[in-house]
Amino acid sequence: MKIATQDSAKSRRSRSTEPVILFCIGLQTFAIAADAVQEIRSTDSLATAAVEMAQAEVPKVRHLVERSHRTYFVVSGCAHFGLRVTRPALVLILRQIRAAVLVDSIERMAEIPTVYALPQAFQGSERQWYRGLTYLEDRVIPVIKPDGFLTPQEFARLDRAAKSVEARHELEGAVQA
Amino acid sequence: MSGAENRERKSWVLLHVGNRRFALPAESVVELAPPVRLHDFPHTSRLIAGVIVRRGRIVPVYDVAPVLCGRESSVHRFYLIAERAFGSGKETSEAGAIPVNGECELATGEMQPPASDAPAYFAGKLAIEGENIDVLDLQKLVSASRNDPHAGNLAEAQP
Repeated sequence: MKIATQDSAKSRRSRSTEPVILFCIGLQTFAIAADAVQEIRSTDSLATAAVEMAQAEVPKVRHLVERSHRTYFVVSGCAHFGLRVTRPALVLILRQIRAAVLVDSIERMAEIPTVYALPQAFQGSERQWYRGLTYLEDRVIPVIKPDGFLTPQEFARLDRAAKSVEARHELEGAVQA
Repeated sequence: MSGAENRERKSWVLLHVGNRRFALPAESVVELAPPVRLHDFPHTSRLIAGVIVRRGRIVPVYDVAPVLCGRESSVHRFYLIAERAFGSGKETSEAGAIPVNGECELATGEMQPPASDAPAYFAGKLAIEGENIDVLDLQKLVSASRNDPHAGNLAEAQP
């Protein structure tokens, strides 16, 4: 009995969990690793800092924001996942990726014990979108792959578009001066 | 029964999809699961209705009714869980679930070649109780749907 108790205690200690943020877009809940998110802001608080991008190459991105001398492209979560358009209230500013994601709400923080691999049956864009799936309180929740929001090619296109936005603003500033 | 006949007469699981019966090789079938909760999330893979959780595993659900019957099946559903091969080896197989109506039956019979104009996802047919029952090739059924414009709402992310 003593040995079993020690074993189970050891087992509990060795079981690692991962902190995630559960967020919602429409009726769908997603999980993202907590350490992948640098900041969560309301869309209202970022409205004045957001710059509109008139570009059609990456339709899911309509704005960019400058944070700490970095340019973040704001991705519509609805457009990215092909969900019905909602009115996002929050922006998740990602840590490693120059992307921010519009979401509807934060459900809560959670600890997940396991991320299951996405079944091989899934062969579409979701292989880029998700690290895998987790099972939490009788729900299967997709776990986001942060670098899946924008591909390197999309970043290149958006960087070009951002330069032209910057050049236009400089020109407008010069004209006004 | 001779050894040769023994080899040819295999066991099959007969399943109901819509109002038709089909067969799968019994050795590929894992279990008939009760109508557990279907979990769905956005994806763009054709024919996949979502996933179920069964015995600690996450199992994709293939809604094959639109391909086999031309329409969604709205009947209360059980899930027939079968192994689907990926690539060439058995080691790359994965369990997948097919929503089915009612109870499945086990039958023994010899598979005949499919009709010449049958879709590629019919591996053959069985003559059981006076009925010709198409034998499904799950791998081809799921793959074939990629080129079938009538195979459900497939172009956009689901749900």
